[in-house]
Amino acid sequence: MTETRVFFNFDVTADSHTLAAYRQRGGYQALEKVLKGMQPIDVENEVKASGLRGRGGAGFPTGMKWSFVNKQSPVIYLCCNADEGEPGTFKDRWIFENTSHQLIEGMIIASYALKVRHSFIYIRGEFDLPYRRLMEALKEAKEAGLVGEKILGTEFSCDIIVHQGGGAYVCGEESSLLTSIEGFKGYPKNKPPFPAVKGLYQKPTVINNVETLATIPWILANGGATYAAIGTEKCSGTKLFGVSGHVNRPGLFEKPMGYSYKKLIYEDCGGILGGKELKAVIPGGSSTPVLLPSEIETLTMDAEAVQAAGSMLGSGGVIVIAEGTCMVRLLQVLSRFYAHESCGQCTPCREGSAWMNDIITRISRGKGVKGDLERLECITKGIMGNTVCALGDAASMPVNGFLKKFRHEFEYFIEHGRSMYDGRLEI
Amino acid sequence: MIEITIDNKTVEANEGETVLQAALRNGIEIPHFCYHPCLSIAGNCRVCLVKVDGRPKLMPACNQTVAPNMVVETEAPEVQSARAAVMQFIMLNHPGDCGICDKAGECRVQEYQFKYGMAEPISIEPKHHKKKFNYLSERIVLDNERCILCSRCVRFTREVSKSAQLGIVERGSHSYVARLDAQPFDDPYSDNVLGICPTGALLSREFMYKSRVWYLEPVRSVCTRCARGCSVNVWRRKKHWYVRSLGEEKNITAYRISPLENPEINGRWICNTGFDLHKFMARPRAMAPMMAGNTVTVDEASAEANRLLAGATNPAIILSAHASNEELQAFKEKLSPRVQVYTREDYCPAEGEVVEDDLLIRADKNPNSYSVHAMFGQKAFSAAAGHDVVIVWGDQVDYTSLGNAKIIHLTSYAPEQETRADVLLPISTTFERSGTFCNFEGKTNRFEQVFDKPKLVQHASDLFGRL
Repeated sequence: MTETRVFFNFDVTADSHTLAAYRQRGGYQALEKVLKGMQPIDVENEVKASGLRGRGGAGFPTGMKWSFVNKQSPVIYLCCNADEGEPGTFKDRWIFENTSHQLIEGMIIASYALKVRHSFIYIRGEFDLPYRRLMEALKEAKEAGLVGEKILGTEFSCDIIVHQGGGAYVCGEESSLLTSIEGFKGYPKNKPPFPAVKGLYQKPTVINNVETLATIPWILANGGATYAAIGTEKCSGTKLFGVSGHVNRPGLFEKPMGYSYKKLIYEDCGGILGGKELKAVIPGGSSTPVLLPSEIETLTMDAEAVQAAGSMLGSGGVIVIAEGTCMVRLLQVLSRFYAHESCGQCTPCREGSAWMNDIITRISRGKGVKGDLERLECITKGIMGNTVCALGDAASMPVNGFLKKFRHEFEYFIEHGRSMYDGRLEI
Repeated sequence: MIEITIDNKTVEANEGETVLQAALRNGIEIPHFCYHPCLSIAGNCRVCLVKVDGRPKLMPACNQTVAPNMVVETEAPEVQSARAAVMQFIMLNHPGDCGICDKAGECRVQEYQFKYGMAEPISIEPKHHKKKFNYLSERIVLDNERCILCSRCVRFTREVSKSAQLGIVERGSHSYVARLDAQPFDDPYSDNVLGICPTGALLSREFMYKSRVWYLEPVRSVCTRCARGCSVNVWRRKKHWYVRSLGEEKNITAYRISPLENPEINGRWICNTGFDLHKFMARPRAMAPMMAGNTVTVDEASAEANRLLAGATNPAIILSAHASNEELQAFKEKLSPRVQVYTREDYCPAEGEVVEDDLLIRADKNPNSYSVHAMFGQKAFSAAAGHDVVIVWGDQVDYTSLGNAKIIHLTSYAPEQETRADVLLPISTTFERSGTFCNFEGKTNRFEQVFDKPKLVQHASDLFGRL
């Protein structure tokens, strides 16, 4: 193995998720090193030095997020966002199923750095095996004195509270995740105030993604500079990419940032199903704008490059679309998802997402009329930037992207009342 | 004080205030649905989006705290287009049935649609339907189609009346307001949601289809149902719209009661009993003077009352706690030296009524006990004192408790008893005169005359001069 791996550094076996197996591959050594030999500020500086950026989608530098919190506050909370709901994304599930202890260790280290006594994991309600694995791991860790009172015999105590979600995509948005933990309906909150100032139970709160927190032990064990050396200059480290869609070997891959999309699709995933041509790639989960084959020709997987290409790295859920797929129907599936998952709090997203779904569904049934595409663009313009949280943008971006790049398919569908690609996709 | 600039106008804002509050206080209009000064900030309607210098996105004015030298634009082109888009979204599934909606004329959705909306809808989809005319309680119907989910009513039951009976259920465009546990919405303050609802989603069953609101006008009055003495508006028909041929009683009907903002006494709320004030006032009236059960003229009745009083050796009066300060003053000047004065509470809490709570409702169910006690003390009538003539002022009197004395009764409403007063003189109600009450804290509150008094009915203050 030539590449450095943070996650894929062991063989998955029947008991590779247990504490014993995790200890065998060097687990909880970083925690011991931190608790017995480092000050909280050193941990924060180490994370800052690593250049680690949030893995949930927005890519905000983790160390900077931590530094925003007033450490003098008597109560600070840490929340792990494990409500992995973005279509196309399935990285956190793997972490829970195979190496929950890595997350627990990362959370305790982060709690130590942030002076947190109680930290929370908000886990997606549909996760079954991941939830059971996490609870088993927590039990093991508690019995081994790695979580709870006086961890590893030091003065530091921290409990991890697990909260199962009720199945709402919007609860992956940080402020609605907090309202959900508080016991209210998962509605996002208006910002400001930001969670770092007034978050869970009105106390300063840090919210990090599962992958982000599970990376922390490696950084502390090997040093921030070592981590920063991996990947690109502005986007360091490795990242889990989940590839789904029309590829021969879909699955989860750990790649350093700056890896080539083409290599990922044609080498790691074995190319497109049935040797078909590549039609489009959704680079980072369903809400990111779609990219054409010409655009990913030389594109590398790091936040800056993908942003320059007009899309977003997002959560790393790469959806590959082969030639022959009807983009109208594909967009209909996506828009139905967002219409279904809009929380209904603020007007533009509540009405707009359902409206867009109505129009796109009508087009995909062959009942499209002239002016529908302009209408869709007008709706996305009314939604974007005008909503409480980012769900409105997430619902609008794919519509904008599809209309921009595959407008002829929509026009064909409206004019002829049927798709350019009739029949099943033969693969 | 902070200076901020809104639309090139420098305005003074208080520290910690939001842009919307500062703008409204300075007479700059920013449209808003979900913001209400007495409720927490929800920021969900998005119609108050404004441009704040230095912010990449438009900010909701209701949630934007002012900062020194902040520059806000409320009429920038992007603000106008965002506003129009929000109105488009709000109207998307709103039925637009203003023609049969009671709220039309005082509906904020209607107002903003004309002011800020686009002329033509861009939607050609059929409207999504929800449940219309939902039974919410004996008093309120809810039309989920008209609801714009601003959550004002939900926040009211959580933050003001504290019953937490309403909530928004389901998700996305399927969301709707409902009583959460399938019980009637029986909050004692429930009717306030009718007033704060910005559209015709929550409607009074009692007022439904009674009148278009533009035929009506409010008159300032005071609720007489408890010692709080809340300020209310009594809605009467405008003179211009008087009915001339059919149903002339409509011209002297109080159509509905609504709270009148009075920060000193009741804020912006009143209780359901207050909302029913017009029904309380519409009980059968005492319309003509009577002597021992026979209708007589006003002159005959007052002559008889005079005769009784002149011949009395030990006359007494029982005061009404519904009398206004002006009437009490007239009585004090003209009649009080000649009679023994007693006081009483006209009304006691009815069965099932909320006796007292922390918000508004007081245990004393009379509006002016404070002044009566302040002017004449507090002394209950006793038959044992041997009074031979008793003037009873006010209604709800049990004649049997008065012993064998001759009774002169001044009342607005027809006595419920079989036994008759020797002289009965009808007097006006609070709707038929103006004056002031002092509530239980001693705060004076003024009420205006809503209707003319019936011909044979007299003002109590005029009567005392004649006796």
